[in-house]
Amino acid sequence: MEKLDIPQGTLDLMILTILVREPMHGYGISQRLAVLSHDHFRVNPGSLFPSLYRLEQDGKLKAEWRGTENNRQAKYYRLTAAGKRQLEQHRERWNRVSFAITSVLEGA
Amino acid sequence: MTLLQRFASIVRWIVHRNRAEADMDDELRTFVDMAAADNERDGHERSEARRLAMIDLGGVEQVKERIRVARHGGWLDEIGRDVRYAARNCATNPGLTTVIVLTLALGIGANTAIFSLFDALMLRLLPVRDPQQLVQVRIGEPGKTDVHFSYPIARALADRRDIFSTAAGFSVWSFNVGAPGSVVVVRGALVTGSFYETLGVNPVEGRLLTRGDDEIGAPLVAVIGHGYWVRQFAARPDIVGQTLTVGGVPVTVVGVSPRGFVGATVGEIADITMPAAAVPRIQPDAARLLERGNFWLRVLARPADGVSAPQATTRLNAMWRQVSDTLISPGWPAFLRKRMAESVFELSPGGTGWTILRNEYRRPLLVLMAVVSVVLLIACANVASMLLARASSRQREIALRLAIGAGRARIVRQLLIESTLVSLMGSAVGLAFAWLTSRFLVTLISSGPFDVVVDLSPNWHVLGFTLALGIATALAFGTVPALQTTVADPASTLRADSRMTTQPSRLLPLLVSGQVALSLVLLIGAGLFVRSLQNVQAVDPGFKSEGVLLVDLNARQNPLPLDFLDDLRQVPGVVSASMSTHTPFSGALWSEAAVPAGQPVPERDNALFVGASPDFFATMQIRLVAGREFTDRDAADRPGVVIVNRAYAQRYFPNQNPVGQHLSATVRGQRRDLEIVGLVESAHAAALRNAPRSTVYVAYSQLSGNLPTTVTFRVAGSLAQTSDAIRRLLQTKVPNAAIEIRPLSAQVNATVNQERMMAALASGFGLLAVVLACIGLYGLLAYGVARRVKEIGIRVALGAEQRRIMTMVVKRAARLVLVGIVVGLPAALAASRWIESMLFGLKPTDVMTIAGAIGMLIITAHVAVYIPAWRASRVDPLAALRHE
Repeated sequence: MEKLDIPQGTLDLMILTILVREPMHGYGISQRLAVLSHDHFRVNPGSLFPSLYRLEQDGKLKAEWRGTENNRQAKYYRLTAAGKRQLEQHRERWNRVSFAITSVLEGA
Repeated sequence: MTLLQRFASIVRWIVHRNRAEADMDDELRTFVDMAAADNERDGHERSEARRLAMIDLGGVEQVKERIRVARHGGWLDEIGRDVRYAARNCATNPGLTTVIVLTLALGIGANTAIFSLFDALMLRLLPVRDPQQLVQVRIGEPGKTDVHFSYPIARALADRRDIFSTAAGFSVWSFNVGAPGSVVVVRGALVTGSFYETLGVNPVEGRLLTRGDDEIGAPLVAVIGHGYWVRQFAARPDIVGQTLTVGGVPVTVVGVSPRGFVGATVGEIADITMPAAAVPRIQPDAARLLERGNFWLRVLARPADGVSAPQATTRLNAMWRQVSDTLISPGWPAFLRKRMAESVFELSPGGTGWTILRNEYRRPLLVLMAVVSVVLLIACANVASMLLARASSRQREIALRLAIGAGRARIVRQLLIESTLVSLMGSAVGLAFAWLTSRFLVTLISSGPFDVVVDLSPNWHVLGFTLALGIATALAFGTVPALQTTVADPASTLRADSRMTTQPSRLLPLLVSGQVALSLVLLIGAGLFVRSLQNVQAVDPGFKSEGVLLVDLNARQNPLPLDFLDDLRQVPGVVSASMSTHTPFSGALWSEAAVPAGQPVPERDNALFVGASPDFFATMQIRLVAGREFTDRDAADRPGVVIVNRAYAQRYFPNQNPVGQHLSATVRGQRRDLEIVGLVESAHAAALRNAPRSTVYVAYSQLSGNLPTTVTFRVAGSLAQTSDAIRRLLQTKVPNAAIEIRPLSAQVNATVNQERMMAALASGFGLLAVVLACIGLYGLLAYGVARRVKEIGIRVALGAEQRRIMTMVVKRAARLVLVGIVVGLPAALAASRWIESMLFGLKPTDVMTIAGAIGMLIITAHVAVYIPAWRASRVDPLAALRHE
């Protein structure tokens, strides 16, 4: 199946959504994104990691190294309070945007 | 995220960059490991699983680079790397880097030097409290106000607290300091009592002057400058309370002003500062300065709190209408009193102090700023062509970087950073050049008997100017080469044979012609200034200044007796000696009203007056045309006699012999009848640029009242030896005077300072411009020959003569220079109109000057052309054809 491009500006929203449930490492995030999007989205590490680093630098995420279930060390990202606030704002905005787009498309 | 947090995170990133880089590596490795493990689980072979995971990642370095770019402050990091790369690049080509840095240093240094002079004279604020608040008070006809005030007006202004919180008058002054027999002149200032209060300066020792010191009868006190304290008193701490002998009377030192503060007159250092009210006691002949008729003090003031400058002006004018009557001298003629009463006040910014040099040098300095910016433009063009020439050799490197994915913008930025780096190195060297030459610049503007002292040490104005200039310069010479280099299609560049890629830029000849044009403009300007100086110096002043020594004596109530000169005439080397009230080009003039007897005497002055003793004309070698010189018999009790100059005679006695005629004149307020006994050739008294003025010489012995007296000697042989002998004799004859003997020629020379400065600097910069332009021309030709070695070799092999090969190079150069001249000539004509008012004795379109400049340009260009042409003619066909 052909993969879709991730719409501009929504990658941050999806990363935050995935991390709100539990802290996760970069590879886990990319796998979870594929599963949750029913394999429509595959995020390129060249896009994922810059987003993660910027969100961390902005204080939305906090990163720490710890062991995985397979006894490997991995860098886990966890949502901060600021990240949660940002998630709510972005989700609210996304809801309005998608509602608006759907309305337009159905009205046509 | 707030700005502060963002800033903090950038700082963290920079500080922890190494750890963060390691972190990135670890994290990406983990990512690949995990992906590989999953792929293996999906049934791929281990190595294949890993390969797929790597493909998935898309290259560790690329991802890391994208992370770096995405982070805040990532750009800082990149620029840091660009700078390091640029530094490596400069180091790999030290020869070229040195040439570029030196070229820029000359251009930038010239700008910095002229700017620092401009800054010191025009822009530098006084080292006082809140200098921006200070205003300079002016008075006069609207739009033509002057900065000088009488002592009573300066005091009255200081008393108006509703207008000014403080106001003070000041003027430079020469004090006669020391015990009789060893009196020296010390430069300083006379000020009103509120001077230091107005400026807001604090003493380093003792106290400064206060209003109480500036009263008639107050104890005589002085404040000395920090430099004088260190030089003269070895900075001894018990200086307060010491006495100085000033004008023969003891004066108590009450304090030392701070280091760096040298008074409010720019270009002068006040070693001694005394209250104006002390004048009658330290120099009785100048006592009249405190009266209403003498305008000699500049006034600086601070407007009162809440009073704007326009409000202050309005209140000043209202005040003046009420009090002008009491402050204008009753001794003045009615028209002057009326004009003075109708005067208005104006305020101008006063934070930069005051100097007469400002009026004199504003225009010359602006012209020089324009000149040096043209020099810098030429230097930029030079460097740009060097970079363009080198660009061809860098094209492979750049094509390679473009091919492996660097953006064009990124490479352009990299190249511009390289330009900025060399430009800043050039700025640093230029700053050093400027600092080294600043002494020389100050001596160029020094005029008169006292040195101009201005602080040219680099301050933040100058540093900021140089830095901004460096960056602007980098953009000016770097942009075009950077854009040109990166435009190439990487694929074809990399494929092509290395020799074929060196397609030279079409801009190169354009840049060279442009340099020739600009240097022609400067050469013509320099020629015009040099010719003006020659013309001014060729003006016959009407007297012979070589071999004449002058010494000013204190003014006195009555003229010195004529036998004062008797023993001075006996000094070996003295040919003749005389006394006069004024000497040519001393800066002081005396004018009175004088007309043929029977005509009404005008209120306004119409002739220069000079009091002269017997032998004055012989000493000055002013030619006597008719009648006689003054003699010993023209004494005070004899009928008044005068000698007029030709200019006066032509105006008032056209086509008549003036000798024997009588004049009606006002001399020092008294109406007098004077007989003309002689006619002399006109001599210049002030500006050589103007025609000599009508002058009436009166017999020195027949004058009375306060007389400035200068003794004039004509000397045969060594001026220095005779000068020493005269000084020794005068020290015994007038022990209370400071004996400073100077040659008349120096006094005359000082008046053509501005012309000399323009001629020296304009020709210096003009030569620099031509040399730079010729280096550019040489570079282009040499580069062209080097590039075409193979072609030239083939031509020679096919039988071309050496002459033909040389002609080929010379023709190319001639074309470039010709285009430069054709463009430069009209530019020069347009530009020279701007300096027309500074020229003397020639038009800006002077054919000789223009032809001379073109000739000089062509001669210099020959040197630049000859070497590459000779080299081309010596190409060995065998070596050239083997050459890769």
